[in-house]
Amino acid sequence: MPKNSTPTAPSAFSRKGFSFDRIFKYFFASNAGLTIVILLLIIGFLLKEGLGFFPGYQRELQIYRITGMEYIDISRKNLTSHEQLTSVMNRAYFAEINGLADRELQRSTESSALISHIDDFTASARDQYFETIEDANPAPALIESAKQKYAALLPLAMKDLPLTPHLSAGERQQIIDAMLARPIDNEDTPELVNQLATEYATVRAKFATPLEPMRAAIDEFEALGADLSTSVSDMSSSVQVIKEELNTADIIERDRKTLIAAAESAKTPEERARLMAEAQTAISTVPDTATPLKELLSGREDGQEMHRSMHEKITDWSGKASIALTQPEAQRLYQVVEKTLPVYLNELAATPKALAAWDAEKPVKLGTAISSFLTGKNWITGGEWQDFYGILPLFVGSLMIAIVALILAVPAGIGAAIYTNQFASEREQKIIKPVIEFIQAIPSVVLGFIGIFVLGNALRELSTSPSLSWFPGFPMDERLNIFTAGCLLALMSIPTIFSLAEDAINNVPGAYSEASEALGASKLQTTFRVVVPAAFSGILAAVLLGFGRVIGETMVVLLVAGNRIKIPDFSAGIGAFFQPAHTMTGIIAQELGEVPLGSVHYRALFVVGILLFTIVLGINALAHRFTRNMKH
Amino acid sequence: MISEETLIRKSGKEGKRGKVFDRLVRSAFAGITYAIVLVALLLFGKIVKDGAPTLFTSEAPFINVSFLLDKNETLHVFDDAQGVRHKLPASKYAEFIKQNGEDSIYNHHSFSYSGGGIVGPIVGTLLLTVGSILLALFFGVSAAIYLSEYAKESPFIHAVRLAILNLAGVPSIVFGLFGFSVFVLAVPVITADPSSRSLLTIPLFFGDYVMSFQGWNSSLMAGCATLACMILPVIITASEESLKAVPQGFRDASLALGATRWQTIRRCVLPYSMPGILTSSLLAITRVAGETAPIMFTAAVAAKDDLPWEGADGPLDVLSSQVQALPYHIYTLAARIPNSEYTQQAQYGSVFVFLLLVAILSISSMVLRAKMRAKLKW
Repeated sequence: MPKNSTPTAPSAFSRKGFSFDRIFKYFFASNAGLTIVILLLIIGFLLKEGLGFFPGYQRELQIYRITGMEYIDISRKNLTSHEQLTSVMNRAYFAEINGLADRELQRSTESSALISHIDDFTASARDQYFETIEDANPAPALIESAKQKYAALLPLAMKDLPLTPHLSAGERQQIIDAMLARPIDNEDTPELVNQLATEYATVRAKFATPLEPMRAAIDEFEALGADLSTSVSDMSSSVQVIKEELNTADIIERDRKTLIAAAESAKTPEERARLMAEAQTAISTVPDTATPLKELLSGREDGQEMHRSMHEKITDWSGKASIALTQPEAQRLYQVVEKTLPVYLNELAATPKALAAWDAEKPVKLGTAISSFLTGKNWITGGEWQDFYGILPLFVGSLMIAIVALILAVPAGIGAAIYTNQFASEREQKIIKPVIEFIQAIPSVVLGFIGIFVLGNALRELSTSPSLSWFPGFPMDERLNIFTAGCLLALMSIPTIFSLAEDAINNVPGAYSEASEALGASKLQTTFRVVVPAAFSGILAAVLLGFGRVIGETMVVLLVAGNRIKIPDFSAGIGAFFQPAHTMTGIIAQELGEVPLGSVHYRALFVVGILLFTIVLGINALAHRFTRNMKH
Repeated sequence: MISEETLIRKSGKEGKRGKVFDRLVRSAFAGITYAIVLVALLLFGKIVKDGAPTLFTSEAPFINVSFLLDKNETLHVFDDAQGVRHKLPASKYAEFIKQNGEDSIYNHHSFSYSGGGIVGPIVGTLLLTVGSILLALFFGVSAAIYLSEYAKESPFIHAVRLAILNLAGVPSIVFGLFGFSVFVLAVPVITADPSSRSLLTIPLFFGDYVMSFQGWNSSLMAGCATLACMILPVIITASEESLKAVPQGFRDASLALGATRWQTIRRCVLPYSMPGILTSSLLAITRVAGETAPIMFTAAVAAKDDLPWEGADGPLDVLSSQVQALPYHIYTLAARIPNSEYTQQAQYGSVFVFLLLVAILSISSMVLRAKMRAKLKW
């Protein structure tokens, strides 16, 4: 073979081309690497903003302790329980009276409902009239037009009048006639309505007489808390001043550190000297917390004594306070009192010990800050007393909404997937799939809008219907609550669950069902005993991804969940699902725009973000593990 | 011993019962499925019923142009001396006062955000969408080219795939936090006077200019960048799929003829996968246009008098201004103002226009995708 037939070295051009190619390759590779960079940036910046939270919160808790606020809150907790118990007893009392006077109450409310319906209907004309005559020189034409409008609206208002089952036809007519005859400038309620109200008041007074011992008992109980109330408010006012001083000192100290840092990096010696001098003068006087604390703790003995005597008196009181109630609602409320009273008494008994054991010197560790974030039951911000950042109410809110959503969406989504894939004709599939896919395209803010303006009202109205009153939690107190938000999120997660579950079922090899049918199984048997079990881990992954989507959703819960930061009251049973709540996503969206940059509150929101990020990624990772198992 | 006859009869009986059961189960599942479809249709019906009257009119040109093209203003409702009720947006209200004097107004009420039209939110949403899609397409398609054309199994590729998978699952509000802390507060800008909260300043040695890591503030660019990060995984996955759908033979033939890898990609792979990439990115547009949480702190503002380009000197000024956006506008209308007969038109009208926009995008992406699948078969 001739030697010169070996391939020649690449020409200059092709070498250039080769290196060009390399450049392109690296360019594309760097773009692929961008995804890693973004993920790292997300994690890095969440941590950067978030991790500062714990030391900041630790300092806040430290101030909370050394000022003695924590000490006061031991007593305050009892005061709150006392007030709550009083309020429940009062509710029971009024429930009893109103239950006994039910007929009169109904008659009175129905007659008021009747006139307020008519009033609402004619409100625009009346408002116009009254606003016009208030003017210095009222326009006669405007008054005339208001009168005409009123005359026109009045007969229209008679349509769709509310039902009045407790009023006789004659009484109803009497009220309607009185309203029809009423001129625009007369705002008096008809005679009969007033009469019914008086009747109700009389009956109430009548039933209140045998209940007087109960009234007296409640008042006595309330009075037992008076000492505690004064003592707590006395202690609080002195402490708040010190807290302010401490906070100001902290701010001055931080400014001083910034000045020193600026001085170190200053360009010219003069500037450095100037900044240093400024920093020197800014040294704050550390406020004296020891003396006021000593003063506060000098009342420790008295406080213990007060709690002991309170415990004694209330134990006495509870011996006397057995009250026979007849109305179911009143009985239920009084049962709550009977259940919580021993708990309260135990707390009272334990308080003197807690007061004695409280120690201002005990250091607040970083772990305390972390655990009080993760297990704290209060998320209180922007208050005058003390800010608490406890994730529990938000977490419970998110979780309960997700549970409602999944209970509705899982059967619906999987059922629809099984039907569409296994039973539906091709023509049906062509309708079902695009419609469900299109639900996915609805922006979440639109769903939230629907929740506020349509679904919330509709569900609330449904819940007030008497035939459903047996259902726990009905009628709903608020139209925006966990259940309403859960319904909308169910609608939102159905497409995710549907399409992933459908994919999973579709991926089951045809041989499985063919074999099953060859063995004589019916279509139904094949579907539920062969296909669905084979697709099980894929379906599970679909459910998990739906769950991840629901937990991470923001706009719907922000608009519809009711935004009340409180752990729902589980004593209501299933009714807890009809209470408003706040969520982890919602709190970030609501508060991030309002907090000062770099504050503890601002950082707390980032920690919520970190938690959310971890939860959702954990769920997704689990889901992908299941999908990997799916490979047939 | 059971005779053959009884066996047959038995199976017949069981078969009958089985059939009834079979049918029951089937119809139960059908019920669930159509209930979902029905709920979805009811929802659209409600919005169309209440929103369509705002957008469409009974007279030519049949579309309420002023609702689409006017700026958003406060709505003033009042009676004049003749008792006629007027509903005027702020600018016309001021004119009315000028003409007739303060005393001619009775029963005055005002409703924020409910007067005029919604051109500001529409324009803002369009700018945000176009900006973020362009960014995401550029980076996303490049990344997909690497994954589909160059990459071999390696730890780097593994990491990239893991990152894509995880990014796709990050909740939108976390993207909002990310966008806020990175694009609004931390990305570098070149400026002569750095802000005091700048994380780091690097002198640039020309004039007084320094590179200051102080962020772009809440602005169109910050919003676009945040949204682009959010849809990047969607675009990458879709583009990679389209690229992989181009038959290997195309590449082999091109490479065999002596073309370089880049020439092969440019001439033989990209042109055939471009339609697929664009169609799939339509779906991403639907998502970008609908997201509220990521733009709440990075770009959106509830009320703004000017359109982004009005009074701006140069494109950079447009990019660094805040914009209104349709989803945020709807959030404002839903959360901050009460529902009354005067605000309803603006509320349902905005939702209807928004949904129409999203519907057009997503239906066209569905139709295009179906067409593409039918057409591009190798």
